[in-house]
Amino acid sequence: MNVASPRSNPLEELSARAADVDSRVRAGFSAHLAPVFPVGLAVLAVGGYGRRELFPHSDVDLLFLVDRAAPDRSSREALSAFIQSLWDSKLRVSHSLRAVPECCEIHERNIELNISLLDQRFLIGDSSLYRRLQEKLPGFLQSARPTLERALASMARARHAKFQNTVYHLEPDVKESPGGLRDVNMIEWFGDAPPAGAKDFLACVRSFLHTDAGRDANQLTFDLQEQLPSHDSPEALMRDYYRYARAVHSALLRRIDVVESAGSGLFAGFREWRSRLTNADFTVARERVLLKAPLQLRTDRDLAMRLFFFVARHGISPARDTEDRLRAAAPLPVPSPAWPVLSEFLRLPNVAPALRAMEDTGYLQVLFPEWKDMECLVVRDFYHRYTVDEHTLVTLRTLEELAASTDPDRRRFRDLLAETEQLHLLRFALLFHDSGKAARTGNHSVESVRIAAEVMNRIGAPEAEAKTVLFLIDRHLELSSVITSRDLEDPDTGAWIATRTETLENLKLLTLLTYADISAVHPEAMTPWRREQLWHAYRAGWREHTRALDEERIAEPTAFEGFPVRYSRTHTGEQMQRHRDLIERFRTLGVAVDLARHGALWTLTVVAPDRPGLFASLAGALAAAAMNIVKAEAFANAREEVLDTFVFADPTRTLELNVEEVDNLRRTVEQVVLGKVSVEKLLARRPRPRRPATSARVHPSVTIERDLSRTATLIEVVAEDRPGLLYDLTNVLARNGCNIEVVLIDTEAHKALDVFYVTAQSAKLPADLEAKVRAELLNVI
Amino acid sequence: MKKIEAIIQPFKLEQVKEALKGIGIDGMTIADVRGHGRQKGHKEVYRGQEYEVDLLPKVKIEMVVADARCDEVVRTLVTSAQTGKIGDGKVFIFDVAEAIRIRNDERGESAL
Repeated sequence: MNVASPRSNPLEELSARAADVDSRVRAGFSAHLAPVFPVGLAVLAVGGYGRRELFPHSDVDLLFLVDRAAPDRSSREALSAFIQSLWDSKLRVSHSLRAVPECCEIHERNIELNISLLDQRFLIGDSSLYRRLQEKLPGFLQSARPTLERALASMARARHAKFQNTVYHLEPDVKESPGGLRDVNMIEWFGDAPPAGAKDFLACVRSFLHTDAGRDANQLTFDLQEQLPSHDSPEALMRDYYRYARAVHSALLRRIDVVESAGSGLFAGFREWRSRLTNADFTVARERVLLKAPLQLRTDRDLAMRLFFFVARHGISPARDTEDRLRAAAPLPVPSPAWPVLSEFLRLPNVAPALRAMEDTGYLQVLFPEWKDMECLVVRDFYHRYTVDEHTLVTLRTLEELAASTDPDRRRFRDLLAETEQLHLLRFALLFHDSGKAARTGNHSVESVRIAAEVMNRIGAPEAEAKTVLFLIDRHLELSSVITSRDLEDPDTGAWIATRTETLENLKLLTLLTYADISAVHPEAMTPWRREQLWHAYRAGWREHTRALDEERIAEPTAFEGFPVRYSRTHTGEQMQRHRDLIERFRTLGVAVDLARHGALWTLTVVAPDRPGLFASLAGALAAAAMNIVKAEAFANAREEVLDTFVFADPTRTLELNVEEVDNLRRTVEQVVLGKVSVEKLLARRPRPRRPATSARVHPSVTIERDLSRTATLIEVVAEDRPGLLYDLTNVLARNGCNIEVVLIDTEAHKALDVFYVTAQSAKLPADLEAKVRAELLNVI
Repeated sequence: MKKIEAIIQPFKLEQVKEALKGIGIDGMTIADVRGHGRQKGHKEVYRGQEYEVDLLPKVKIEMVVADARCDEVVRTLVTSAQTGKIGDGKVFIFDVAEAIRIRNDERGESAL
C-alpha cells in the first residue's frame, strides 16, 4: 500500500493518542469529579474518540452519563472545573450530559446524539450506571435500527450534495467529501467493512493535514498535495486518493440504496411506476436498472451497450449490482465502425448518466482508450474545482439540466438548445474538449483537436460531422474570452464572432458548449453576469449572421453566385454539395425536386426558375398533401434560379407507410413548379385542420420592421402553427405583389415563427401597402 | 485617503488595469456586477419571445489611494475606460477615515 506517511500504521497512532487522552481524562476525573460523584456519574468516550480514532486536533467528545437529568449546583461546578482542566491541558473537549433513558430513545432533532452512541466506550466513573446503559442500549439500537439507518442515509445524501455528489474535487475535504473518512465511518456504522486500505490511507492524509495546520483542517489543498512525504508527485497522490475515495463512495451508496429501498411504502410505490419500462433485457426496480440475465454479459456483446442506451433513453441509472456485474465482465471490444451507434446514442435525452455509468464500469475507457489519460487528471488553476474527467461529465449533465430548466434566467439558452439540430456533435465535442490537458503543452485546445481527430477517424465519423466537432473543440475558449475582452456592442465584435463561427448553427453550438463549459467549472461559476455576457456575445454574432440578409451576396462565380452570404453561413459543406448537384440537374431538366427523409422529418428541396408566387405554391402543395411545414428557406441566385427548401412533418405517416406516395408527392411538386397543376384545386380537396384548444393558443402577431434591412421590409409573423399556414401567409404576399427576398420559417412546438424579407418593385414596401399586407396577414393567422 | 470606486465596461478591464499598473497602482478589488444607470435596460425580442434585459453586465473596481494620488488615478482610470459611448460607466470618490493592515495593525497611508 502506498500510504501518505512513512509511519507503519496510522490507525495505531490514532489509537495511541486516544489512550493518552484516556489517561488524562481519568486523571482529571480523579482530581475534580471523584470527590463529588462517588456514584451516579460515568464518563464515556463517544464519536471518533470513542472509536479510538483520535486525530491530532480533533474534538475529544465526552458523554457524562448521569443517574438524574439535572445535577445540582455543586455537581455542575465540579463538572465545569473538570472540563476546564482538560481545556487547560490543550484538549478540545465537547461534551453532553445524559441520563440512561435519554440514551435509549430516538432524538429526532438531535439524531447525532444517537449516532455518537454507536461508538461509545466507558472511561471512568460509576460502572454500575454504565452497566445499566449496556443492558438497555443494544436492545434499543436493534429496535431503532431502521430509523437510525434512514437518518444516516439522509445525512450522507445531504452532505454529499454539499460537495456536488462527486469525489473528484481538486482540493478535497478528506473528512467530509464524498468518499472521505466520514463515509468510511458510515460504512462501519452500517455494519460493513470499508474497502481495503482506504481507511489507512485517508487517516494518514488527515493526520498529516492536522499536524501541518496545527488545527482541525481537513482540506487537501494544492500546496499540501506537494508536501505529503510518501508520494513522488501530487499527481500520484491524487490518483491514489481518487481511487480510494471512489471505492468508499461507491460502497456507501450501495448500502444507502438498500436502506432507502426499504423505505416508506408511499415513496417506494411512487418510484415503482417506472417498473413498466421493464423489457426483455432489463428490469427497472426502485429507479434503478437491473439485468434480467446477468450471465449473458459474457456472451452477448451488445447487451452492455443496450443497457447504456436504455439509461440514456430513460434517465435511470444502473443498480449498484448491475454496475458490479458490468465491471466484473470484461468489456467486449466495440463493433467497428462505432460512429453510427455512437451518434444515435449521443442524440438520446439522458446521455450524462449513461456516460457516467460507462466510466464507472470501465466501458468508456474501452470505447475511448484516450479517456484513461483524462481519468482523475488534476490540472491546477484558480477556477476548476474538479478533475478533467469529472468536469467533462458535468458539462454533459449541465446540458441536460438546461433542457429541463424552468428558470426564467436560463430560458434563452434552453430555447437555443431546443433549436440545435446537432446535439450529438455538441456532446461529442464536450467529451473531448479538454482531452488535450493531459499533455500539459500549455495550449490544450490544439492537443484536444488532435486527439478528437484521431478518435473520430478511428470510429468512422463522416468528414462533415468531424469538421464540426473539431471546430467546436478548437474554438471552445473563444467566447469565454470574448465576453471579458471585447465590446459586445461594437459591430466589429459581432462581425468577428460571425467570421470565427462561420455558420449560425456553429455559433449556436459554440454558445451552448461555452455555457456548459463555464457551468461545469464549479457550481457558482456561471453567474448571472457571465450568462448575460455570453448571451450578448451570441446575439452580437447572431445579428451579424442574419444581418443584411439581402445586402451581401456571394460573388464567386459558382452555382451559388448571387445567393445571400447567409446561405453559405447556414449550410454545411455536405448540404451545399447536394444543392450544387440539384442545380446541375435543374439546368439539364428544367426543374429539380429532391425529397428525402431525415429521422422523423422530411426535406423537400426544389430548384426552379423564379416566378411570382412560386414559394406560396410549393407551400400550398405540401399543405394539400396534409404535410406540416416546420422550417423553410428560399434563396435566389444571379441567374434567377431559386432554391427553396421545406422541412416538414408527415403527421399521418403517409410517406413512410406508402412508398409510392413519395413519388406521387415529388411528381405533384414538379407539376406545380411547371404550372401544370393548380394549387388552389389541390387545396380545395384538403381537410380543414382542427384548431387547438383555446388555452394552448399562441397570441398571433405581425410585426413590420422598416429599418432592420437596408433594402427590404422585414415582416415577422408569430402564429399558432397549422398545416397550410405558410401557404396562406405567402399567398397574401404574392397577391399583393410582394417579392420574398429571404424567408426564415421555424416552428417551436405549436408556435410558428415566420420572418419574410420582402420588396415591392425592388424597393421597401410603401406605407399603404405595409398596412394592407399587415391587415391581410392578421386575417389569415 | 480616498476610496475610488469605478463602474466600467467589462471589456475595458484589462486596459484599465494596465494603465493603473503603469502609474504604480497594483492593489485593487474587482467584481463582476450588473446594473444600469442612464443606459437603461431594454426588452429584447428573440424569435418571438420577449426577454427583459434590465441589468447590464459591468465590472466594478475599488481601490483606496493616498489623497495626493487621487486625481492622477482618476484621470488614468477615466482615460483608459473611455469609449465615448453611453454605458462607459461612472467613478465615485469617497473620503476614507482610516486604513488598518490586519497583519500588523499598521495604520494610515502606509497601510495601503
